[in-house]
Amino acid sequence: MILEQLINGLTLGSIYAIVALGYTLVFGVLGIINMAHGEIFMFGAFMGVVITHTLQLPLALAFVVAIAVTALLGLFLELLALRPLRGKKGVSHLAPLISTIGVSIFLENLAHHFFGAGNRPFNTSFSEISVQIGSVTIYAVQLVIFAIAVLLMVGLSFWLSKTKAGKALRACAENLEAASLLGVNTKKMIMMTVVIASAMGGIAGILVGMAFNSVTPQMGLTMGLKGLAIIILGGMGSVRGAMAGGLILGLSETMIVVFGESGYRDAIAFIAIIVILLVRPQGLFGQAAPEARR
Amino acid sequence: MLAEIINPYYLQVLSFILINIILGVSIYITLSTGQLSLGHAGFMSIGAYTSAILTLNYDFPLVVGVILGALLAGIVGILIGIPTLRLQGVYLAIATLGFGEVVRVLFINWESLTQGAIGISSIPHFGRELVTGLRDTGFTADMIGIRNNQLISLLVFIILLVITVLLITFFVRQNHSRVGRAFAAIKMDENAAEAMGINITYYKVLAFAQGAMVAGFAGALYAHVTAYISPSDFAYHRAVEILIFAVFGGSEVIWGPIFGATFLTAMPELLREVSEYRYMIYGIILVAMMAFRPQGLIDHEMIYKIKSRKKKKKKVEDDKKERNRHGVGS
Amino acid sequence: MALEVKNITKRFGGIHALTDVTFRVEEGEVFGLIGPNGAGKTTMFNIITSMFPPTDGEVVFSNKRLTGKKPYEITKEGVCRTFQNIRLFPDMTVLENVTVGEHCRTKSGVFASVFRLKSQKVEEEKIKTKARELLQLVGLGKYEDTFADNLAYGQQRRLEIARALASDPALLLLDEPAAGMNEKETNDLFDLIQKIKKLGITILLIEHDMPLVMRICDRIAVLNFGEKIAQGTPDEIKNDPHVIEAYLGQEEEDELA
Repeated sequence: MILEQLINGLTLGSIYAIVALGYTLVFGVLGIINMAHGEIFMFGAFMGVVITHTLQLPLALAFVVAIAVTALLGLFLELLALRPLRGKKGVSHLAPLISTIGVSIFLENLAHHFFGAGNRPFNTSFSEISVQIGSVTIYAVQLVIFAIAVLLMVGLSFWLSKTKAGKALRACAENLEAASLLGVNTKKMIMMTVVIASAMGGIAGILVGMAFNSVTPQMGLTMGLKGLAIIILGGMGSVRGAMAGGLILGLSETMIVVFGESGYRDAIAFIAIIVILLVRPQGLFGQAAPEARR
Repeated sequence: MLAEIINPYYLQVLSFILINIILGVSIYITLSTGQLSLGHAGFMSIGAYTSAILTLNYDFPLVVGVILGALLAGIVGILIGIPTLRLQGVYLAIATLGFGEVVRVLFINWESLTQGAIGISSIPHFGRELVTGLRDTGFTADMIGIRNNQLISLLVFIILLVITVLLITFFVRQNHSRVGRAFAAIKMDENAAEAMGINITYYKVLAFAQGAMVAGFAGALYAHVTAYISPSDFAYHRAVEILIFAVFGGSEVIWGPIFGATFLTAMPELLREVSEYRYMIYGIILVAMMAFRPQGLIDHEMIYKIKSRKKKKKKVEDDKKERNRHGVGS
Repeated sequence: MALEVKNITKRFGGIHALTDVTFRVEEGEVFGLIGPNGAGKTTMFNIITSMFPPTDGEVVFSNKRLTGKKPYEITKEGVCRTFQNIRLFPDMTVLENVTVGEHCRTKSGVFASVFRLKSQKVEEEKIKTKARELLQLVGLGKYEDTFADNLAYGQQRRLEIARALASDPALLLLDEPAAGMNEKETNDLFDLIQKIKKLGITILLIEHDMPLVMRICDRIAVLNFGEKIAQGTPDEIKNDPHVIEAYLGQEEEDELA
C-alpha cells in the first residue's frame, strides 16, 4: 500500500518536475514568470484527447501533434505577449507577468469554447498495461512518465552544458546584452527558449492526461500554480531544483492523501510558496543573491 | 410613474458595477505604493464569509457583520503585509496569489463552518432586510407607487452609491495629503522615498492593509447583495478580474480603476454577444494594454490636462468678469 | 553638530570598497570628498545614510550613532542627501517633489487628512509655503507645476537639492551636484552652495569638478581605492604628492583607454 503510494508520488512528482522545467527555462533566460505555461500544458493534454479519442489515431501521433501545437503557442506567446514589452522604456518589471496572465486566461477560455467545460476522459489501450509485483501494481504509463522526466532533465542539462546552442542560451541567461554584443542572436535564443519550454509543457500535458484519465480546461491553472510553487521551492531558474522540487511536492501530496487529509492536498503547494518565499526566497537549491548595491 | 422607470435588473447591474468599483479602488490602493497583489479575491472572500456567517449563524446585525468582515480582512492584510514586505514585485504577486488559493482551499474544506464547495445560501439580503425594517416604521413600497422588488433594488443601489461615493472621497482626500504623497513617492522610487525621510515599512503595510480591508468590505457587500456565496466566487478569475480593472482603466490615478470597473462590468451587459467571450476579451485586453499603454487608459497626464484646461477656463472667465466689472465702473 | 566617520570598512563579497576610513566634518563647513572614479565616495554616502550597513566602523552625528538606524530615521536626525544619478519622483510636479521632502517634519496622518482637520489644513499651507520658498532659493520658482521629468538636467539637480533642503537638514550630502552642468550652471551652483552654507547648513560634497571643489570647500578628504590618502585645506590637497599621483595615474589610464 505504502509502496504503491510511493510510486504514485514519484509519478506525480515527475510530472510536476516536467511542468516546472518549462517555467525554469523561461525564468532562467528571460527572468520572467510565464503565467501562461499551465494553459499551454493544458492544450497539450487536449491534443492528446482529440487525437486518440475523437479521431481514434495512434498515441505516438498525439505526442507529435501536442508538441507541435504547444510549440506554436509558445511562438505566439513570445511574438504577441513578450517581445512587444522587451526593451521598451518605462515598462515595469510587472508587465510580462500581467501580459502572460492575459494569455493564460485567454487560452483557458478558448479551450472552454473548443472542448467544453466538462471533464474529458483520456484512456488509451496503453494506459491499461500494468505489471504486478507482489501486491504492488505498476502501470506502464507510470514508468513512461518517470523515464521521460529523467530523460528530459538529463537531456536538458546536457544540452545546456555541452552544446553550442545550449551555451549560447546560458550566456543569454547570464546577461542578455553582453550575449548580444558577443554575437549571440538573442532574439532567436529567446524564441527558442519559449518554444522549447512550451513543447515540454505539451509533453507533460499528454502524460498527465494519461495518468489521471481526465482533461479539463481548468487543469492548466492548477498545474500552473503548482509548477510555480515548485520553481520557488527548488530555486528559480535551477534545472536540478525543478526536478527535486517536483518530486518533493508530488510525494508530499500523495502522503497527505494517505493520511486522509485529501481536501488540503492542493493547499500544500501554495503554503509552500508562501513559506519558502518568506524563509528562503532563493529556494532550496538557489544561491543567495549577493547583497544588492543600491 | 416611478414604477415604470425602475427596472430591478438594471439596478442590479448598477449595484454590481458599484461593488466592482470598490474592488477596483481596493487594488488601486495597494498598487499606489507599487505593490501588486493577486490576493484580493482572498481578502474579498474573508470579508464575504465573515459577514455571511456572523449574520446567518450568530444573528449579528447586518451592518456589524459587514464592518467586522472588512476589519478581519484588514487584520489578515496586516498579517500578510508585514512578512511579504521584503518581497519585490513579481515575488509579492506570486506569494499573494498563493495566499488567495490557500484561503479558497480553506473555505472549501472547512465544511462545518462554510458548507464547503456548495457555498452559503440565504444570506440576509441588504434590500430585503431594509424593506422589512422600513415596514416596521410603517413605510411600504406602494406608498411611492412601486412594487416591493423595485423598492429592494432601489434601496440597495442607493446605499451602495452612497458608500462608494464616501469611499472614493476618502481616498481622493488621502491622496491629496501627506500620506498620499508618501504612497506616490514609494511607488516611483522606494529608495529615494526612504532617503527623504519616509518610513516605507509603515506606509507599505498601511496601503496593503487598506487595500485588503476595502476588498473585504466589497466582499461583505457582495455577500449581502447576492445572498449566496461559494468558494468559486473568489477564485483566481476573480483576482484577475480585479487586477484588470486597474490595468485597463489605469493605476496611476484613482479614476482609472473606477472607469475600468464601470466599463468592464457594463460592457457584457450591454453587448450580449460580448458576455460569452468575456474572459477571452479580458485576456486580450491584458496583453494589449501591456504592449501599447501599460499605464492604463487614464493616466496622470490626462488628469493633469483636464485640470489645467479647467483652470484656464476659469481664469478666462475670471478675467472676463474682471473686465466687465471694470467696464461698468468706467 | 559635527559628523564623525569612524574607521569605516565596507566589503562587497571579496571587493574592498572602503578600508578603515576616518574623517570628521565640523559644523558649518563645506567638506569635500574627492577621488578618482570607483574610489568609494558614493559608497561612503550610502553608509552614512544607512542605505546599507558598513562591514565595520560607525558613523556618529552630533553625538548620536547613525549606524544601525533606518535611512528615514537618519533623515529625521537631520542628515539628507542628493543622488549622483538623479532620483527625483518623475511623475510628480516640481512642487510636489519638494513637499515630499518635508514629510519627516510634518505629522498629519490618514485621519486628519481624510477629515480635513484644521491642523491638517494649516500644515498643508505651511508645507506649500515652505516648498515655494525653497524653489525660489534654487531658482525654480517658475516651474512649480512642471513635471519633474520635463525639467532640464541642471534644473533637476537643483530640484534634488531643494527636495533635500525641505527635510530641514543640519548636514546636506551632495553627490556630484555639478555633473553634466555647463559653466554658467556650475557658477549658479556655486552661488547656491554659498547660500545654503549661510543658512547654517553643513555640507559634505562629492565632486569631480576640481575648480569648483577648490573654490568652495573649506577642507577636503581624498579617497583612492577605498582608502583615505589625504586630508586638508584645498591648498594642501593641491600640493599633496599622494593626491597628485592618484590623479595622474588616473589620467594616464584614461589616455590609454
